Amino acid sequence: MIRLGLQLTLHSGREAFTRLLLTTIAVALGVAVLLGVFAEFHAFQADASRSCWECTQGATVPKALGTRGELWNYSADFYQGRTIERLDLAALGSGAPVPPGVSRLPAPGQYYASPALAALLRTVPRDELGDRFPGTMIGVMGNAALAGPDELAIYVGYQPSSLAAVPGTQLVTTLQGTPGPAVFTPFFRYAFAVGVLAVLFPILILIGTATRLAAARREERFAALRLVGATPRDINVIASVDSVVSTFFGAIAGIGLFLAIRPALADAELTGTRYFAATVSLAAWVYLAMLVAVPAASALAALAALRRVRISPLGVSRRTAPPPPSAWRLATLGAGVALFVVGLLATTHKSIGSPAYPGLLIVMIGIVIAGPWLTVAAARWCARVFNGASPLLATRRLADNPKAAFRAVRGLVLAVFLGTIVGVLVPAVETFSATANASALNNVLLDTFENTQATAPTTVPCSTLPSSRQPGSGCAATGVAADEAQGALTPQAAAKLVSELAGIGGTAVYPFYPLPQTADPNYPGHYSGVVSCQVMRDIAVFGQCGPGIAAVQVQDQNQLYNDNPHISTAAFVDASNPAYTGSLAALPLQAVMVRVNNAATLERVRTYLAVHAPPQVSAGQGVAATPPRTYGEAVAIRSGRAHVLQRLVSLAVALTILVAGCSLAVAIGGGLADRKRPFTLLRVGGTPVGTLYRVLLIEAAVPLAAATLLAAALAYGMSVLTVWRLAPPGMAIPLLGAVYYATMGIGLAMALVVIGVTLPLLSRMTAPDNARFE
Amino acid sequence: MTGANGTRSPLIEARGVTKSFGQTQALRGASVAVAAGEILAVMGPSGSGKSTLLHCLAGIFSPDEGEIVFDGQRLDQLSEARRTELRRTAFGFVFQFGQLVPELTAADNVALPLLLNRVRRAAAYQQAMSWLARLGLEGKDARRTGELSGGEAQRVAVARALAIKPKVLFADEPTGSLDSLTGEKVMDLLTDLTREEGTTVVLVTHDARVAAYAEREVVVRDGRVTTLEPSGTDGGFR
Repeated sequence: MIRLGLQLTLHSGREAFTRLLLTTIAVALGVAVLLGVFAEFHAFQADASRSCWECTQGATVPKALGTRGELWNYSADFYQGRTIERLDLAALGSGAPVPPGVSRLPAPGQYYASPALAALLRTVPRDELGDRFPGTMIGVMGNAALAGPDELAIYVGYQPSSLAAVPGTQLVTTLQGTPGPAVFTPFFRYAFAVGVLAVLFPILILIGTATRLAAARREERFAALRLVGATPRDINVIASVDSVVSTFFGAIAGIGLFLAIRPALADAELTGTRYFAATVSLAAWVYLAMLVAVPAASALAALAALRRVRISPLGVSRRTAPPPPSAWRLATLGAGVALFVVGLLATTHKSIGSPAYPGLLIVMIGIVIAGPWLTVAAARWCARVFNGASPLLATRRLADNPKAAFRAVRGLVLAVFLGTIVGVLVPAVETFSATANASALNNVLLDTFENTQATAPTTVPCSTLPSSRQPGSGCAATGVAADEAQGALTPQAAAKLVSELAGIGGTAVYPFYPLPQTADPNYPGHYSGVVSCQVMRDIAVFGQCGPGIAAVQVQDQNQLYNDNPHISTAAFVDASNPAYTGSLAALPLQAVMVRVNNAATLERVRTYLAVHAPPQVSAGQGVAATPPRTYGEAVAIRSGRAHVLQRLVSLAVALTILVAGCSLAVAIGGGLADRKRPFTLLRVGGTPVGTLYRVLLIEAAVPLAAATLLAAALAYGMSVLTVWRLAPPGMAIPLLGAVYYATMGIGLAMALVVIGVTLPLLSRMTAPDNARFE
Repeated sequence: MTGANGTRSPLIEARGVTKSFGQTQALRGASVAVAAGEILAVMGPSGSGKSTLLHCLAGIFSPDEGEIVFDGQRLDQLSEARRTELRRTAFGFVFQFGQLVPELTAADNVALPLLLNRVRRAAAYQQAMSWLARLGLEGKDARRTGELSGGEAQRVAVARALAIKPKVLFADEPTGSLDSLTGEKVMDLLTDLTREEGTTVVLVTHDARVAAYAEREVVVRDGRVTTLEPSGTDGGFR
């Protein structure tokens, strides 16, 4: 019987071959997408479980350095919007631990760079990048140190004495060998879970639809086999063989397709990182499981489908007319929404309440369950409202088999749901970060030299200062205020710095000064800084001085250093600020802003600052100073996670639309094959083919429109509530932007195109000339 | 429609029609004429070309050679769109089985051609109910095809064909899937109603008992038409 099944599957003429081919293509597409998602998750997991040398924590650097361990200063730098992981090292003895990816520590004046950074160093002018790293490159870092081939990282060797004076330096005796803190991992796991579910549903639908392709025609053939003596058991075997063969071919083709696109997948930077191609891979058992599980599942699905029909020698009949879907189908959706709301109640401005995540998933499942009920409701409404033959034919069929009608479009509905969530959340997250002031300061770089926390009015010897601040660069011979000891540039060094920055070309330099202790009798008191009113006019967004004032005292200039652009770009000067009447030229430099005219200038300024006035403000022990960066880069860093989420969900939406489009095409094609005879006879009876076109369009459009409206409304409501709970008070309700409407429009247009592609098939299949009337 | 010599002029006529499907020649110069209001039975063995002749007369197939004339106009020269319109407005069809749309109720199926002809919904369903009643299907209007017996489904098909008041009803083995008693009932209704309405009927059958309902019989053999003596009451087209 198995042999007969094989023969019927493989040698039953053009129609059977076409069905086999379509099923194989659909399954191949589904399997390839599934393997791609799994492989990407494997790469993500491999990266998440990589030992985190960057997370190494050490001890305070002692005054007497000793000979055990090494000095370690891990910091971030930037180049063209990309982060450079920089590790400055100084061995204290021969047993100093060696970080991964290199065989030995770089000696003072040497460095190892990652392959991507090494390539940049070879091609980019030194004054834009290379000058930041003293010494010569002695090799490239191995993969063990890196998350991917594009990662920019560098190990720079120093003398212990010079590195010890740099803020953020620690004494390290052992490296961290465990994965980094799972700050983003659960977030991405949720994202993957949502993505996999979003993609998995439509893929299963596609495979299921494909294996049920032209089921009615196949069942007629089974009835003919029963007529010549085949038992129900024989029919089960033949049906199983038919499903297994086509899905097995599809699984093999899908694996081949996945292997073909694997290099491109590794380059795709789905989670914001380009992974090594070797990690975007799967174990052999996964391929084996696909080859077994997909055909086995399709065989089970075929057997389950046969249970719903009675195939007798005289033909095929349905065992029972399925009852219309009841309103209970809304229960799951309601439960999901309720759970999500519970999660929102636990949501603060810092984090989303954990029940919201399963709530989101249950809502997605609820939409799928509620779809047929919605389809029937919408079909009944259309039948009441619209007149004519096309609505009659379409709505009756929708009401007759709403599950099949909704099955064809539910992938698209899920895509709309996810797309709407992203369409609200991502712009909202960007709004949290990007203010109008931050946008105005997009090309303005900030470098900070002084920690303006309360300081004692004492002096310290020049000899304790870093070399750039010692005599020769402006340090007074007798000593400077502790402020300056914390990093503020002396007036002479400041003048030189401002002059040389201005000399780079394409720059505008805005200096900020600490308020001298003598200017405020209550120092440290209300005001802590000084700024020129001309600078305030040039920058424009930080507020303006009162009339006739040349310089003003400002309070809490710390806000400039905050990494939240909402705070760091808020105005801090107005007419109430008291004037500062002293000479600005006599003040040390606390911070400098530089507006640049292009990307190359930005990197030249950043390199200049890294060499001549490295940032000194550290957030604490073992934390390196924030590197000079523009407000645009600060915003980009803060919204980075949202963009990764957007990228992941956009990919899920794109895949979902692609797979759902295929499902829709297969479902419409299969439905046409099943209804070839009544449609043909309708055309024979004078029904214009345009009427039948409209029938197909209405059959797809009604469930799509009904469920899409519900999904979009739910997603919008849930997203707005989330934003409302997460966002700062007073933030406007997010609206869906043009990108959202364009994306959704393209997705729905694709669905229409898919339907349009099947119309010629309808015309050809039902042509009266081809009719068989017996 | 009566001519000068007392014979009725033809409403629909095939003149020297040939039709081939690949290497198979189904019709070889077939000619037949059907008068208005006449019931013509087309008989012949399987594969003789009788169904092909019906489909050519109905404008479903275009003949390779020859002419099809309906109501004075060359059907074979009309565009597909115009022929489709004619089939929708002037012709009715009853086939052996499967012509009903399974998702629709009996009333829907009968109302469907009326809706296609832009009849308002209420009027279409009123007419549909009337036709169902005339065919003895009162109370069956809400049933779907699968809930009707074979004879009931065929009567719904007859009602649907007649609902638009066609000039010509084409029936291709209309009782082929029915037992003889049911077939007889369907034929009684079909012929009674077409006579009441003055509808011309072209009835393809290989069953002599069904052909006996016709006023005139022709036999198709090897793609050609042979006229037999009249089997009905008053004469048809001679």
